[in-house]
Amino acid sequence: MLLTRHHREAAPREGAGHGVEVGLSFPFLTAPPPAVLRGEASLAELLDDGHGWPSTGAGRDAPASVASAGAQLAEALLRHLPGAAPSRVYVGNETCERLLPAPRAIGSWVRAAQEGRIALSLVLPPLSRGGLAKAEEAVRALEGAIDAEVVANDWGTVHRLRSRHPGLTIVLGRLTHKMLRDPRLADYFDSPQAPAPARAALCRSGELAPGFRALMERYGIGRREVDPFLQPLEADEWECRSENVSVHLPYLFVTMGRACLLGAMHRDPADKFVPGAPCRSECRKYAVEFRLPVPGENGAVKHLLNRGNAYYHAVPSSVLGRILERLPSSRRVDRVVVTVPDGQGWPI
Amino acid sequence: MKLTVPVSLPDEVEMLAENGAGGFFCGYVPPEWLEQYGGAFWLNRRGPVAGNLVQRDDVSLLVERSHAFGIPVHVTFNAPYYTPEQQDLLLPLIGRLARESGMDGVIVSDVGFLVALRCAFPALSVHASSVMATLNPGMVDFLEELGVRRVIFPRSLGVADIAALCDAAAGRIETEAFVMNEGCVFEEGYCMTTHRSVGALCVQLPGVPHRVLPVGGEPAGSLAGEEGVRAREVMGAFKDWVWFQNGCGNSMNPGGIPNGPCGLCALFDLARTGVTSLKISGRGTSSYRKLVSLQMVRGVLDLVERGAPREEAARKAMALRNTPKFCEARYMCYYREEAS
Repeated sequence: MLLTRHHREAAPREGAGHGVEVGLSFPFLTAPPPAVLRGEASLAELLDDGHGWPSTGAGRDAPASVASAGAQLAEALLRHLPGAAPSRVYVGNETCERLLPAPRAIGSWVRAAQEGRIALSLVLPPLSRGGLAKAEEAVRALEGAIDAEVVANDWGTVHRLRSRHPGLTIVLGRLTHKMLRDPRLADYFDSPQAPAPARAALCRSGELAPGFRALMERYGIGRREVDPFLQPLEADEWECRSENVSVHLPYLFVTMGRACLLGAMHRDPADKFVPGAPCRSECRKYAVEFRLPVPGENGAVKHLLNRGNAYYHAVPSSVLGRILERLPSSRRVDRVVVTVPDGQGWPI
Repeated sequence: MKLTVPVSLPDEVEMLAENGAGGFFCGYVPPEWLEQYGGAFWLNRRGPVAGNLVQRDDVSLLVERSHAFGIPVHVTFNAPYYTPEQQDLLLPLIGRLARESGMDGVIVSDVGFLVALRCAFPALSVHASSVMATLNPGMVDFLEELGVRRVIFPRSLGVADIAALCDAAAGRIETEAFVMNEGCVFEEGYCMTTHRSVGALCVQLPGVPHRVLPVGGEPAGSLAGEEGVRAREVMGAFKDWVWFQNGCGNSMNPGGIPNGPCGLCALFDLARTGVTSLKISGRGTSSYRKLVSLQMVRGVLDLVERGAPREEAARKAMALRNTPKFCEARYMCYYREEAS
């Protein structure tokens, strides 16, 4: 029997993957891979055949190659969650409303996913007024789908969806989880040299305070997504919630703009970087990898991956391990969301 | 439209009030916060000392002087989040600022803290910071239901979006849009980085090694030709954009006026959106910069309010800036779609 920080007994989960659900996110694909929707894709196949993430350096203990990064993630997932298999597919993009799927496409995915006993999550980015109107159409396409949910990344969207779709399952997306996760410094956030209150404040959010709890209850939010933080989160941040928790792997969200870096590639100089400007979906073809020097560590770098208007850091295997170790006995963290950004070879 | 202006010292009040400030915002970092968190966790969007008052007596004096001009003062408590312990520290402190120092209200970013504040001090004016990233009418409704008095729009919104959100807010909640001084290439409400110790990530990025990669089945050689040229061009343009957004490298124009992000030539259009207030940012800047910023905005706004056409207002704005090449580049503008 395992003990939590509060000395409550926590029974190890039973069943495949220790009962932890595995979702797959395809934020840059125009359609999720049919084999995944049919429930025919295994984690090992998906992550180990070139579908892995493109950043080849994930920190000091970075995986050596793309293929091995995917293989390493698959191996770690299956070691900690034996028998785990994808049972949920995420469609849509968390930072760009231009990648919002069309209602008709969602309808067809709903049908395919239900045949494959796969649940669907529609991911919405922080939405503009125009984006919010389109998102409502997309949400309507989910109606009636078993276990479907919407991941909202701004409170305006939460408010609108809850007021117009009272029965909808709304998940709070990781962009709303306000905590610092700057990869340049986050490893030092729990440094013993820092004052204890500061360390605690950098390793937890404000979400256990009464005001935030009241909002979660008011809007009927039963699930919150969190990032794979480089700093070790305090146990309460994971466990002392009324809602369930999904944790993203392997990318840490770092920042985003409403103007897109590579979306400006084909714009005239004076029209580059205008928020909401048209683009050619360059994010589906190119990424930018930045190598950030690590302060005080003689030439060591951390990789920052730009995709579209967002920046991510693929966390090192030590962080993956720390998070995955928690899952079998966690009372609240019952889902991992694995991002597979690119679907090479998959039909559109 | 009122002009909301940063103030960092009681001595700045008279100067800014006499030049047309309609509202003030300031920062306050008390000693008990510094004792617990040092510089590791900023109480607001400025470092622990720069641009902040550290004595409550100074807040009281600043408020007293502002009220003598009939100008309200809001204090920034706009860190992206506060932990439960921090909220327990801040709520009584805010109560004292309102009760004993006469502060009119606060500017906040943390939605949970907003709920706690409204519960503890129902009569206190609360402005929703741009860090809340109010991008859609649902957010206006959300904030109105939570009792916010004013919403400060993020810098990334264009004039058309501001007009639509002002329309949604009309009669229920005041609105504020940025007009001068500080910018960021990222969306402030969704930037999880820190400026502490390592500086702003956005400023650092163009200077670090990087490479553009083909992904998603794109052939490895796809960046060898025209696409490669465009990729290199866009990374160069990104460097320029960051430079402009970062105060044009903290430079000044030939007249000694600090350069930086600006919405002066959009004032004609902004005046027609119904926005309640225009915000000049820069609590951490010099008194001189605060003053010239205010004078520039006041100068163009007076022209607009006297009925000048759009072109005349824009000409005046560009003449005041006195950096025609920077204006032509458009990377210094808050309101790009109008400039285009």
